[in-house]
Amino acid sequence: MNGPFRSLLVTGCMMLTAGMAQAETLRVAMGVDPVSLDPIATSDNASIWTQLLIYDTLIRPSKDGKELEPGLAESWEVSEDGLTLTFKLRDAQFSDGTPVTAGDVQFSLERAASEKSGWAGFFRPITGYEIINDREIALKLDKPFTPALNNLAMFSGAILPRKLVEEQGDDFFSDPVGSGPYALAKWTRGSKIELEANPHYWQEGKPYIENAELDIVTEGSARTIKLEAGDVDAIIDPPLNQIEALKAKDGIAVGTAVPYRSDFVQLNTTKAPFDDEKVRRALNMAVDKNALIQGVLYGAGKVAASAMPPMAYADLDLAPYAYDLDAARALLDEAGLGDGFEAELLVNSGMAAHRNVAVALQAMMQPLGIKLSIQMVESGTHWETTKAGNYEMSVSYATSDTIDPDQLIGFLAVNPERANAYHTEWKSERLNTLYQEERVTGNGEKRGAMFREMVQILHNGAPYIFLYHPASAWATRDNVEGFEILPTSNFRLEDVKFTD
Amino acid sequence: MLRSILQRLIMLIPVLIGITLLGFLLLQVVPGDPVERAMGTRASAEEMAAMRHQWGLDQPIWQQYLLFLRDCVTGSFGTSLFHKLPVSTLVLERLPFTLGIVVYSTLLALVVALPFAILAALKRGGAIDLAIRQLFVFVIALPPFWLSFVLILWLSLSLGLFPTGGIGEGLLQNMHRLFLPSLVVGLSTAALIQQSLRATLIETMSADYVDTARAKGLSRVQVFTRHILRNSLISTISIVGVRIGWIIGSTVVVEKIFSVPGLGSLLIDAIVSRDFPVIRGLTVIFAMLVVVVNLLTDIAYSIADPRASLD
Repeated sequence: MNGPFRSLLVTGCMMLTAGMAQAETLRVAMGVDPVSLDPIATSDNASIWTQLLIYDTLIRPSKDGKELEPGLAESWEVSEDGLTLTFKLRDAQFSDGTPVTAGDVQFSLERAASEKSGWAGFFRPITGYEIINDREIALKLDKPFTPALNNLAMFSGAILPRKLVEEQGDDFFSDPVGSGPYALAKWTRGSKIELEANPHYWQEGKPYIENAELDIVTEGSARTIKLEAGDVDAIIDPPLNQIEALKAKDGIAVGTAVPYRSDFVQLNTTKAPFDDEKVRRALNMAVDKNALIQGVLYGAGKVAASAMPPMAYADLDLAPYAYDLDAARALLDEAGLGDGFEAELLVNSGMAAHRNVAVALQAMMQPLGIKLSIQMVESGTHWETTKAGNYEMSVSYATSDTIDPDQLIGFLAVNPERANAYHTEWKSERLNTLYQEERVTGNGEKRGAMFREMVQILHNGAPYIFLYHPASAWATRDNVEGFEILPTSNFRLEDVKFTD
Repeated sequence: MLRSILQRLIMLIPVLIGITLLGFLLLQVVPGDPVERAMGTRASAEEMAAMRHQWGLDQPIWQQYLLFLRDCVTGSFGTSLFHKLPVSTLVLERLPFTLGIVVYSTLLALVVALPFAILAALKRGGAIDLAIRQLFVFVIALPPFWLSFVLILWLSLSLGLFPTGGIGEGLLQNMHRLFLPSLVVGLSTAALIQQSLRATLIETMSADYVDTARAKGLSRVQVFTRHILRNSLISTISIVGVRIGWIIGSTVVVEKIFSVPGLGSLLIDAIVSRDFPVIRGLTVIFAMLVVVVNLLTDIAYSIADPRASLD
């Protein structure tokens, strides 16, 4: 081989390897398939997770989920009367290089409050906009509504480029442009989402990894196999029964987080004997929640003290109902049901964990003479049946879309409200009053005390059998650093690095 | 023959109208509506009513049905409530993979079944025949999801011969990637074909015209290929035709395990979220597939056996 040609070849090879080192790709396998990248039209996890990689919100939940941190807005201010929220935008650009302006903010939030939006209720309290300059905007409220600020940290409040969305309409969301850490490169529906780093991202030096790929692998065991084979670098939600085995494997790291979710049994308080608080409390004492967590979740969960997940303003000292069959029996005696009773337990057949919970509950209730008959129905039927009040007990769960507990407490404990205490029809006047007050009280200790009192009332009134808060698991190859699932159940890829 | 094919196609029209009507009415009876599924836990009654209006679900049922018929005729089959795309677009993206598995698995089934059927027929009643029969009974009893994982663990993870799932680009890559899922679907069909083809072969071997062919002095190979095999394969055509509905159905399982973005996952997601236009559209498209395959089977049948005309 002659000289020049040889050196050319060597240089070529070096360029090739250099190119490969730069074009690193982080491959993440998830079990769910994004439906749409329009933040106001979706509520499925996969869509939300993907949107949060592509778009930014004004403010966002901190990694521990306990407070708000700057997003596109580098700072913000709530006026004394709570009626004006002023945001100062940072010098940020969309992935096509155009700057993010106050006009984009107004457009995006108005869109989120429009008829087209599935999230309109979250943004309608904002009734006016004042663009101070390109980088400053004031949002006006008619009356104080504290959750309005926290709702801006939700994916549905993502800031979109006004001009492009207006020009392209719904087509924009097949090839969207945002100011988040990654931009969409290619979307093969049902198979994978390919992302490339946003060259204009406002966090200097991030994302660390040039390309990211979200692989849709719906079968849990298949995700585990792909991780073991090295086909992917990280997986979300490995089957809980495989976590111990995964931990034992060389080269694989496993993590868990407890997102804002809570699983419970709804008790229809319009039907005897569930109209009696003593009975409802007795049922709470009759369930060995630790055994449920071990048996159903393979240990990946926390015992629940109420139907509210451990989130902002949570009272971590509130003790769950202790497992105490004698105390339960005594309460049932007081209620005149010492010999037990028969009841129907409704279960969503699509949720394997809940099917197992139902069978376990059946066994746990037996010593008290309570005979549960299990009724399995499909998820849509499950919702319709409980909504219509045609049930006695029903295994169910709730998750929070925002970091503000207002949404969930309103759904789970307030009556009358959207769901009348999630179809239990349970009612506490004191709690209803606190709910109205909490919404007009600024964030801080006073509002926190209100939430703690509400959760205490919910705990005592026991319209549910409080079960557990299930953990979300993830697993990565050893060389992946910084990947985690946040309490908001999404993941940030801009902080992820390869270590080798 | 062209005329009879045309006649058959025209006869399909009432069948298809019946399918659209049934698919539409069944969804009206099923509990759960898409707005509740999407927004039930967070939105007020007014917000949900507004969305129902946006999605046209507050229109009279007959009007919704006519709109659906219009969408079927224009070929869009409606617009997905959640994907915000025409159902036809969603289907066309995924159809190649599902059809690919259907065709590939049928070919694999034939490749596996033919030699064993012939061997078993030639050695009928002997130990080999018995062993082959036991083998295929075993194969037919394997649950597809279990077989899928065993094949992945063995051929993909241990030996590294195949990817663990997913799709590739181009025909060659996908022939490699879709081999395992197609094999899983194909094996139980292979068992079915082997059993029936063996029986038909044995029956045909003792037919009078086979004796005549032998008496004419044709070689054993000629007698077998020209007279016995060709006549026996006709039964295989009808088995494959009848089986196609089952094969389409069973792709749902392997698509999930092997992460193939086919129609199965689209249908399941649509049912869970009550994406009515997608469910309806897929019902009609699946039904059309079965009807068309049946027609193709009849045509193939009449070509293979001139006595069975289409009329």
